Amino acid sequence: MADQNKTDTDLKFYNEVLSPSQLFAARSRSHKIPVRGQKDFFPDDSDEQRQRLEQSLNEHWSLISEERVEKLGNLVKATWIPSEKIVELQSPAGKFWQTMGFSAGGKQFLFPEEALYLMECGNVQVFYQELPLSIQDGYEKFLSSSTVRLQEYQVFGHLKRLGYLVHRFHPSSETSSYAKQLNLPQSRDRAGKQLKRKRSASPTATSSHTEAQEESTADRMEEDTCGQEGQEDKKRPESHLTISPETSSTQTTTASPGNKGGVRTWWMEDDVGERSDHQPASAASRWDFSSISFPDLGSSRERLSSCLVSPDPSLLPGALAVGVCDVDPWRTRINLRDVKMSSKEQMREEEKRRHRLDKDIEVRRCSNWAEYRQLMERRQGRRSKGRATHLWDGEVTPLHDPRQPIPTGELLDKISVIKSTHLLEGASRLQASDEWRISFNVYQPDTVADFKKSNPGKPYTRMCVCSFDGPVPDLRAIKQLAFQSGDVLVVFAVVDCGDISFYTFKDFELPTDVFP
Amino acid sequence: MATEGVETTSEEVPVPGKFSTRYDLEKETELRFEVESGEAVEQIELELLTGMAEVFGSELNRNKKYTFGAGAKIAVFTWQGCSVNLYGKPEVAYVSKDTPMLLYLNTHAALEQMRRQAERDNERGPRVMVVGPTDVGKSTVCRLLLSYAVRVGRRPTLVELDVGQSGVSVPGTVSALCIERPADVEEGFSVQAPLVYHFGSTTPGTNIKLYNKLTSCLAEVYSQRCEVNRKASVGGCIINTCGWVKGSGYQALVHCASAFEVDVVLVLDHERLYNELKRDLPHFVRVVLLPKSGGVVERSKECRRDTRDEKIREYFYGFRGVTFYPFSYEVRFSDVRIYKIGAPSIPDSCLPLGMSQDDTQLKLVPVTPGRDLTYHVLSVSSAEDGEEGARKGIVESPVCGFIVVTNVDTQTQVMKVLSPAPRPLPRHTLLIMDIRFMDSK
Repeated sequence: MADQNKTDTDLKFYNEVLSPSQLFAARSRSHKIPVRGQKDFFPDDSDEQRQRLEQSLNEHWSLISEERVEKLGNLVKATWIPSEKIVELQSPAGKFWQTMGFSAGGKQFLFPEEALYLMECGNVQVFYQELPLSIQDGYEKFLSSSTVRLQEYQVFGHLKRLGYLVHRFHPSSETSSYAKQLNLPQSRDRAGKQLKRKRSASPTATSSHTEAQEESTADRMEEDTCGQEGQEDKKRPESHLTISPETSSTQTTTASPGNKGGVRTWWMEDDVGERSDHQPASAASRWDFSSISFPDLGSSRERLSSCLVSPDPSLLPGALAVGVCDVDPWRTRINLRDVKMSSKEQMREEEKRRHRLDKDIEVRRCSNWAEYRQLMERRQGRRSKGRATHLWDGEVTPLHDPRQPIPTGELLDKISVIKSTHLLEGASRLQASDEWRISFNVYQPDTVADFKKSNPGKPYTRMCVCSFDGPVPDLRAIKQLAFQSGDVLVVFAVVDCGDISFYTFKDFELPTDVFP
Repeated sequence: MATEGVETTSEEVPVPGKFSTRYDLEKETELRFEVESGEAVEQIELELLTGMAEVFGSELNRNKKYTFGAGAKIAVFTWQGCSVNLYGKPEVAYVSKDTPMLLYLNTHAALEQMRRQAERDNERGPRVMVVGPTDVGKSTVCRLLLSYAVRVGRRPTLVELDVGQSGVSVPGTVSALCIERPADVEEGFSVQAPLVYHFGSTTPGTNIKLYNKLTSCLAEVYSQRCEVNRKASVGGCIINTCGWVKGSGYQALVHCASAFEVDVVLVLDHERLYNELKRDLPHFVRVVLLPKSGGVVERSKECRRDTRDEKIREYFYGFRGVTFYPFSYEVRFSDVRIYKIGAPSIPDSCLPLGMSQDDTQLKLVPVTPGRDLTYHVLSVSSAEDGEEGARKGIVESPVCGFIVVTNVDTQTQVMKVLSPAPRPLPRHTLLIMDIRFMDSK
């Protein structure tokens, strides 16, 4: 930006008349914008780098500080109306009128971004309070969050320079889904209405960090001072890269201790149970087997008297009355023969004997099958899951237990927690957000010849402007914008300190290669 | 066995055409007799003359003649003393004082006490598992306990897990049957609306995974029934198991105990098994060791095969082959889908990653109909005739009936089947059994 004194310029403008040689020099000057070239990301303190930087800076400075020489006759006069945030033309418009500006109430107006662009091109001279505005003034006065932000203007200018026709986008200009369904003809005077309407969107502080910052600076500029906005762009880029390292490291360390402890205690308990001779206290079962007597020949003689008392006749069919029963002779007749076992089976027997269920305290504590099964499940879980036990301990467990084999197709279904979606799927229900909005309609350069402002037709694309410092649009934003735009592709123009890249999201389907 | 206490007064009663013997039994003794097995054997008739007597828990009517055919092994027990007449010449017949009936009766009394408590506390009744090696009288003890329970007004459930010698359905199945009246002296329990699952083989060892799965299925269905039917819940169940008590067979017993949440395990005549179960089942399960009856006879392989055949024949032709008239018709291959449960095992190295050998055991393998299908018993699965999606449920679906393939014509792609009902087949999913049946009579 030129840092020349304002009043100084004005004086010069009115007083200076250029000599032919000066005029000729101004004409033959190169109008090319210096090439930015490759970026140097890291200062290596070399002279070579310093020189390169210096040269590049000088080029820019000289470009900005250069005086623009234009024919007075070519300059269209206009006035800045701050209350309306538009520019009113005072003299007949030039060729640009075919694609830019709008008329209302018999007057011709330009949007601030259009006026600024035309100022930069040397087509318009804007006056405010009877004084002409410099380009710097234009940047300060015209660009604000309520008109067009700097980034948006950068995209606007970039596209204009490439020859595209760029117009403001207003959400209401797009036909509603209802109208689309009914296939209503588009209203003729849409463009005019749209132009008159002021931007309703007023970005709130909830949005991104950068945007808020930008806003505030924009406000400041609006009010008075001469902030140097070029610098601001260069300050931002480190902010969001530093988040990740601390968060990721915490997960790996917490994994093992709980698990290890659990297994350990289980074995300990088992050992204790083995050593202690006294019977561990057991929970009472539902049945009181001391009062319900089974003729169990296996139980010790003390517990089963040699004579069974005769059972209560009311329990027996046909009210039988039977006498006592002598058990002793039966004891001797029980099959006691030992089963022959292979050495493998004997090993297993030994193993089993070590895990005597009736000496196990935890098992003794269970009083019914439900509790016992729970206990077993818990143990099973602890034991068999092996190395990755800790994964199954918490509330959040892996999606699939690899020991349960299922067909590949099902497995893929199971692990696809995030279902694939189409851009327009469910988008109609989404509320429009303030953070993301479409800024411009863009028409292709080859339509300039027969372009009508009153009936611009279907745009080639629509632009949503965002910055590399800001957040990446989430699925919700993409869906919502896509829905708003209808069948016109939405392109994200991502601004990085003046460099602009264009991105777009398209529907596509992942190929599936599974045959169940 | 002990035959010394024969206190019979044998007297010849002249009955026209038949040799008759009269036995007077003292109280708490039993008359055991066996009928010769084989073709064209003279049947034996039994008549109660005085007193009261019972056969495996079912009371005998006085002056009614009960007929027993080839291979029958019967014990007539009396609590108070009685006299009976046997007509015909049994292979063996003797009176024994030496019966564990009193122990069994005491067992019943204890179970009945539990049922009373269940009724009072609004709980579920006792679930009893009867285990033991082969030929110790497991089925008989089950029948005894069930009959006694029914006679005191309970509605117990018989769960038959003995795939070799099923008392409810054809062999190669596991089943559950609600018992509403004592067993018929001649026929056994009347089989009305049993719940039957296809297993497909006569020993659980051929597919132990499937066996355990079906046990769980039965247990689940039984529990559901208990929830809606209070009487069935109080009556509890009595589970008859296989005689396989080692290795996987033993594991299957433990699994069954856990699936049914049994309260009492009756171990017949096997102290080692008794000790093992005491060790491996939680303390709240009561394990009881009971002796086997001296009257139990060991059955030979042939004898077991004959009983199996007889059971299948009974399914198609009715008891003693006279009550039912099965149909025979042709079924086109294209109309049915035949499966076998359990894929042949593959070496571990050939399995997909993360897959284990067990998973093949529950797999349905389509069977291409061919000549080797002849004489096989097929279960008609009650699974809906859906497409591929329904295949999962087939293993766990009960069976609605059985057919036998009598002839296969590969030329015309048709097989002839023996079926208890006229065509068409109620469902078109068939499961093949290893068991074959040749309709020779």
